[in-house]
Amino acid sequence: MMGSSTVPSVLSTKVKEMIPSAKVLVVGAGGIGCEILKNLALSGFSDIEIIDLDTIDVSNLNRQFLFRKEHVGKSKAEVARESILNFNPSLKIKAYHDSITTQQYGVNFFKRFKVVLNALDNRAARNHVNRMCLAADVPLIESGTSGYSGQVEIIKKGITQCYECQPKPPQRTFPGCTIRNTPSEPVHCIVWAKHLFNQLFGEADAENDVSPDTADPEAAADAGNAALEKQAQEDGNIQRVSTRQWAQDCDYEPAKLFNKFFQDDITYLLSMENLWKSRKPPKPLSWSEAASHEGDVNEEDNVTATDMKVWSINRCARVFSETVANLKAELKGNKFLVWDKDDQDAMDFVTACANIRAHIFSIPQKSRFDIKSIAGNIIPAIATANSIIAGIVVLYAFRVLAEEYDQCKAIYLRQKTSGFKGILVPDNHLVKANPKCYVCSEQPSVNVFVDVNGMTVKEFETEILKKSLNMVAPDALLEGKMVMVISSEEGETESNDNKKLSELGIMDGSVLKVDDFLQNYELTVIVNQYKAENKEDPPYKIVADPNDLKAKAEENQNGKEKDSNNKMETDDSNDDVELIENNGVVDDPQEGTSSKRRKLNLPDDDDDDLIMLD
Amino acid sequence: MAQPILSKAEAELYDRQIRLWGIESQEKLRAANILLIGVQGLGSEIAKNILLCGINSLTILDDATVTEEKITKNFLLDRNSIGKNMAQSVLLKAQSLNPLVKIVVDTNNISVKQKEYFDSFTMIVATDLKSEDILKLDNICREKKIKFICGNVYGMFGYSILDLQEHEFLEEKVSLPPKKRTHEGKPLAQSLEKIITKVQRKIVYPNLKQVLVPTVPVSPKKTLKRRNILYYLVLVLNEFRDAVGRYPLYTERKEDLKKLKELKDSVAKRFELNSEKFNDNLLNVIFGEIPPICSILGGIIAQEVIKAVSCKEVPVHNLFLLDPYTFSGSEELICH
Repeated sequence: MMGSSTVPSVLSTKVKEMIPSAKVLVVGAGGIGCEILKNLALSGFSDIEIIDLDTIDVSNLNRQFLFRKEHVGKSKAEVARESILNFNPSLKIKAYHDSITTQQYGVNFFKRFKVVLNALDNRAARNHVNRMCLAADVPLIESGTSGYSGQVEIIKKGITQCYECQPKPPQRTFPGCTIRNTPSEPVHCIVWAKHLFNQLFGEADAENDVSPDTADPEAAADAGNAALEKQAQEDGNIQRVSTRQWAQDCDYEPAKLFNKFFQDDITYLLSMENLWKSRKPPKPLSWSEAASHEGDVNEEDNVTATDMKVWSINRCARVFSETVANLKAELKGNKFLVWDKDDQDAMDFVTACANIRAHIFSIPQKSRFDIKSIAGNIIPAIATANSIIAGIVVLYAFRVLAEEYDQCKAIYLRQKTSGFKGILVPDNHLVKANPKCYVCSEQPSVNVFVDVNGMTVKEFETEILKKSLNMVAPDALLEGKMVMVISSEEGETESNDNKKLSELGIMDGSVLKVDDFLQNYELTVIVNQYKAENKEDPPYKIVADPNDLKAKAEENQNGKEKDSNNKMETDDSNDDVELIENNGVVDDPQEGTSSKRRKLNLPDDDDDDLIMLD
Repeated sequence: MAQPILSKAEAELYDRQIRLWGIESQEKLRAANILLIGVQGLGSEIAKNILLCGINSLTILDDATVTEEKITKNFLLDRNSIGKNMAQSVLLKAQSLNPLVKIVVDTNNISVKQKEYFDSFTMIVATDLKSEDILKLDNICREKKIKFICGNVYGMFGYSILDLQEHEFLEEKVSLPPKKRTHEGKPLAQSLEKIITKVQRKIVYPNLKQVLVPTVPVSPKKTLKRRNILYYLVLVLNEFRDAVGRYPLYTERKEDLKKLKELKDSVAKRFELNSEKFNDNLLNVIFGEIPPICSILGGIIAQEVIKAVSCKEVPVHNLFLLDPYTFSGSEELICH
């Protein structure tokens, strides 16, 4: 009925003929995904598949225009399909309400498409689709936006770099002792408050302790504290009873909880004198003191007053008490609660606790609105940037069909700034693959720096192979000894899980052959013995080329941060203090929608419900 | 406006954008009344983006009739609209994009409107108009201090022209605090708290006559040489539209190309342009209204509307030109 008449007339005859029958996969039906689907349908693409595991949320509706209020809670992929069919019923569209990382979407699934269009919001899913497209040798158009900025790039095996050719900056994490002992920024207090939520109501996690950490290397130098040290447990926690147990024992009485976390623990921290030699010491705050603080002058119940203004300490204490009572009630009948930025009590609790702690440490307090941004790791998103980026994506889809890859240089959308004319800025040339890429090179290999005597096989699998190297179901074989270290088959290597790496004969210089069947990805992992010495050091490191480590160290010394394949130096803002993301490059563009989430220090969550796939 | 303060429902709906441009900007958008002239492919993209951001009212003016050809290029239409008025036909789907915005449909031609008609608008967005109408509108906007933007899509090419007259705005400069170092020069852990400095700035725009009917050759040759060649393509296409009364059509390709070449040569001669740089190839890609190009221009123009209405962030001064080959999009100042 509509068929080829909608194909843009100025395209080459070859492309015009290809468009109606070209099978296209859109991964993600979020902000960019909706716009891409519209552009595809209007341009004559008639065979489209769309996959997304998310459901629609109210906060999506300001840009994900294929959805309306009555769709909240429904599958994004399915509603997007209906909306597009409503515009043109003759199209062939298949929707999957599912995660792209599951086993059923293997290499053969990907091979069916002429081109894959990514509209994702997280790095893990991007990495995965990158590998699947490399394995299936299907061209991939990768895109993302973050606020006013965005980017589009083409990934084609053998012609361009892949998504993982350049090391990406690691997720931001904070040393445990900064969170527990010596916060200096609002974000430290917010992370602590989320940990406190988990300690009191969430799933048990020893890593997220909130009490003073006496194993702090800075405090350990404190000679006068030998007695206290002895009291402390080896792992640095002063309590023998778990925080949860203790809270239950005192029936979550707000005053008791408040006094422990904001008075007693702080008094204890003060006794670790070394910490306060060059820092302003915290001031313990008791429940009765907090209550005697002045309340908010005008405590209206509207958005501006509740969300935009910083609460008084008095109000924080009151909210603390109310939310503890509500969350305690909610916990009944549940094993644990999962923190969610859109749950009012959970969000109010974190706002109150973060601000009380900030007050104690003389750190600026923040509004509920601002704390939600940080705690929920919310990336702002607007319709206009998505519309622009999705336009480029589909223009590049035309060129990919014509195999004009050299005409598909990466393009950056930048916020307009004074003194710089560029808004949509293409790269000067197509970026070639990194010959040392641990994903797309001929024989991929990577150096992993871990403590072979401290790390268990399970930790190696979860932290290194899955979380950092983004594998889904890896098998690992120790070369030379032919020892099966990890198997993706159930029941084969479970007995290794709790063994240290060294117990299986893995040591400095060992080589592991790691294979992910789903991703059709084989990787040689070279193990290097490494132990974190300073508290700022990461617990482990992963490097494609060990020479990069040296180069990085030098770069840091110069205090300059430069992206090798971004040509934004022409900007007038050439000095050190300008924010990198302001230069038009998005580190980890979030818009689109998630296919996989990871459990991190700050969750890799954007605007939607927290879904754990572990 | 029903309520002076943003409601809780609005705060939830607009959350992700308020986190970008702030609540003050959202309040200004919420008070804005926009007139959109022309709701073809580009117009419908603009309508979508400014409806989504949450203005007070949008008036959609278009006197065209929906044809089979038009519905394939416009996601606000469907088959039932054929033969009906354009503005009327987009209403249903436009409204479903954001039920909180008041939409007014106007099926008249812009040329019958009296000056008073424009009084209530904060900003006017025009697509698909003759130069004569654009210049008339610009004069009215200048007289009534209404902000004005117009733009068009020609095949793979697209542009917009902004006239914000005397525009005052806040520019937010985001920076990180300087890196602290110990006495030995070792860098300390850097605070990642952003520092936002707000700078009040002002830009004075030339009127659109200077852009669309440039007097030659007033500008020094040096300026002319450095100028983005695509600006002259804007002149050629506008002259074509004024002379023929429509966009170049692919179905009339042969005839239209001939006419375009004539106009191009005349513009090239007038401005002493290098024919190698300003070559005929450009004319081959300007047929039809290409949806992804509308998507890009619709995003750019709506973003300029948002910036202009909220008096925040640096606006384009005064042309935006999209390269039909590289898709590079940049600002060009045309001021004679």
